[in-house]
Amino acid sequence: MNTKKVLIDASRIITEALVQSGADIFIGYPITPSNLFYSYGKQRFPQFMAGPDEISVLQWMSGFSASGKLPVTATAFPGLALMTETLNMAYMMELPMVLVITQRLGPSTGSATTGAQGDLKFVDGVISGGLPLPVFSPSNFNDAWTLAHEAVKTAINFRTPVILLTSKELVMTQKSFDVSTLEPLQKVDRTPKPYEKPYQTYKAGEDKVPTFLPLFNEMEQVRFNSSTHNNMGLIGKNDAESLGNTWRLREKLETRIDEFTFYEYDAQENAKHLIVSWGISADAARDAVAQLRNSGEKASLLVAKTLLPVPPKIYEIIDAYDKVTFAEENMTGMYKELLYGKHQNKHINVATKFGTMLSPSEIVEKVKEFIE
Amino acid sequence: MEVQEKILTNVKMPFCPGCGHGISTRSISEALEQLGYKRKDVSIVSDIGCSGLVDPLFDTHSIHGLHGRSPALGVGVSLGNELPNKKTIVIQGDGGATIGLQHILEAARRNVDMTLVIFNNMLFGMTGGQMSGLSTNQFKDYKQSADEADPYDVIQLAHTAGAAYARRVNHIANFTDALKEAIATRGFSVVELASLCTSYSMKKVSEYQEYIVEEEKFINDRPVGHSPVRSTKPLIENMKGLDTLFGNNLEGRIGVLIAGSAGGGVQSAAQQLAQAGILAGLHSTMKGEYPITVGTGFSVAEVILSKEPINYTGLEKADVALIITDDGYKKVKNILSDKTQVLIDEKVEMETNFTKKGFTKAGGKKGAALSALAYWLNESNVFSPDALLKVVENHKYATELSEAISSYKNV
Repeated sequence: MNTKKVLIDASRIITEALVQSGADIFIGYPITPSNLFYSYGKQRFPQFMAGPDEISVLQWMSGFSASGKLPVTATAFPGLALMTETLNMAYMMELPMVLVITQRLGPSTGSATTGAQGDLKFVDGVISGGLPLPVFSPSNFNDAWTLAHEAVKTAINFRTPVILLTSKELVMTQKSFDVSTLEPLQKVDRTPKPYEKPYQTYKAGEDKVPTFLPLFNEMEQVRFNSSTHNNMGLIGKNDAESLGNTWRLREKLETRIDEFTFYEYDAQENAKHLIVSWGISADAARDAVAQLRNSGEKASLLVAKTLLPVPPKIYEIIDAYDKVTFAEENMTGMYKELLYGKHQNKHINVATKFGTMLSPSEIVEKVKEFIE
Repeated sequence: MEVQEKILTNVKMPFCPGCGHGISTRSISEALEQLGYKRKDVSIVSDIGCSGLVDPLFDTHSIHGLHGRSPALGVGVSLGNELPNKKTIVIQGDGGATIGLQHILEAARRNVDMTLVIFNNMLFGMTGGQMSGLSTNQFKDYKQSADEADPYDVIQLAHTAGAAYARRVNHIANFTDALKEAIATRGFSVVELASLCTSYSMKKVSEYQEYIVEEEKFINDRPVGHSPVRSTKPLIENMKGLDTLFGNNLEGRIGVLIAGSAGGGVQSAAQQLAQAGILAGLHSTMKGEYPITVGTGFSVAEVILSKEPINYTGLEKADVALIITDDGYKKVKNILSDKTQVLIDEKVEMETNFTKKGFTKAGGKKGAALSALAYWLNESNVFSPDALLKVVENHKYATELSEAISSYKNV
């Protein structure tokens, strides 16, 4: 196969993958460090709209999604904060869409051009009631390609918004890359599944996902609803059917999580130490593991790519190790806290960095400190 | 002749006895029926509040959203379809129109084909009768509310923003005709209907009329807004591949820091170095740092060149620093180590022990960074500066860039 090396950034890769996978429209409001998505989106998507603010962006996206289009936006924490109520609406209405969130240093406006991995716990709790929202996090350019496709696929097949959680360093840093390794992507099939008559917007079968039909379709009446609703899509006041519908939103994702569980597990035989990382810090973790092995230490690596809901497979892998070091670019070790809370566990330590990238040597240092 | 379809269901109106929302709902239905719309030609977009209870009343498609956001949701619904003879009807109250005023103005500015109907009872009926941004001062006096700010004239505002049709109607007898005109209009139409809340204001419509704003009607003859679908070109397929054309003498990995000022071509020079590295058979990364105000202050870029694939893209230490300006030096001077090879422009005025070079003198203000890079490549023999020349050969400013690169010979 002929190689084709270019200098490229992950914003370009993600944008192209989203469009090839069938995303129809990019609706955006500019914000650093998601600016490249905005400019690539304007260039590449079949439709593009410039929203006047982030609330409008996600409302417009919800309208497009209810009409059968697959909309995409890209923002950072301040934009996501404004979008939160509407994200809950789209989740409740079961509208497919993809949100690319580029993490930057907070709190608040923080430092717009400094990378971070500080929004994980926000997206974990972003849906009121603690319901899970699929969150994927690419750790390199190949992930950027495949997870963008999986984000579209999951959004459509599970009728849900999906977050692609990136960071400034991943989507803005340019890197030499052989783009011939990116397999062409197929559009995700949107043919409506067969449904039981009479059609009801939120009546689901065994797969827990109701058949999606768009507004204005000539076959069946469609009723989307943001409030607690029955199968018809009409407001239900805490009746069993309506509460069951809300319960199903959790079930459809958690019971079928194997269909969208993505991770990288580089196990070394007889290793008792595991390094766990995600997103931009994963590349530093890969280098750290290589350095440890070169110096004669045994260490395995787990890179989590489906961050939320947490796949049981992640716990299964971690549980097999005596000592685990989490490597991530935030103040407290958010992924560690997501999995194990704030309790200091003697089997776990964290290598964290705030304001600059976590380096391989800093991870190695933490691991050695732990071994000693 | 086609049979006219009934737009309303048989569901009992959920509103309080005497509430104006019932007649407003029936008027919308009558207007749609008289204009010949069928059930599945219509999508009702509803808001939060008493007006948000309308979904089950309409035997159409429906989408029930958030407080105040329904005009924005309606924009997406309308532009997402753009099918002929379909109608998006958005219904909200005066509270929703207040919190979501921006969405109304945006829909009007774009003249999106939809009809917004505001049921204005001048209060929040679901939360205890509080005043809204559309409550008149007379009504606020009647309610003994202390707020004396004048109300928004949402009809005037929508008109000014570009709505094709904007009208306030206070008399029930005119509701249906006004709605018919609005719905028949191509583009954004808004109709504000006076709607009495019998629970939190007076009991008689005739009395309510004394407290409301006078009727008005405005027309704008403007093109209808669309979201066109276009064909686009792939972002990656069309990129030009960088084949290995040059040799290199690098062992391991080297980190290069280029520090200058905005407008000095630092970012593009760094990008060109990273591309030249690929032409020389190396792996490379490039990242830039500059203030949010991109046209002023420092401009710093990091380039890593490596024999092996690069995972971690951070620069733990700079092996080489090319410093072009005082802004750049000020930004990076604390991260230079004893082991960093520093080449600094003679124009830098800040005190330094580093040997200075005439990069700006040779390459000019915009070409100094490229001149410095070519000088360093030639001195270090990592790879030939000719790789830089190859990168810029098809650039729109190829002549100027090539001159800047070649100027290293005069440093």
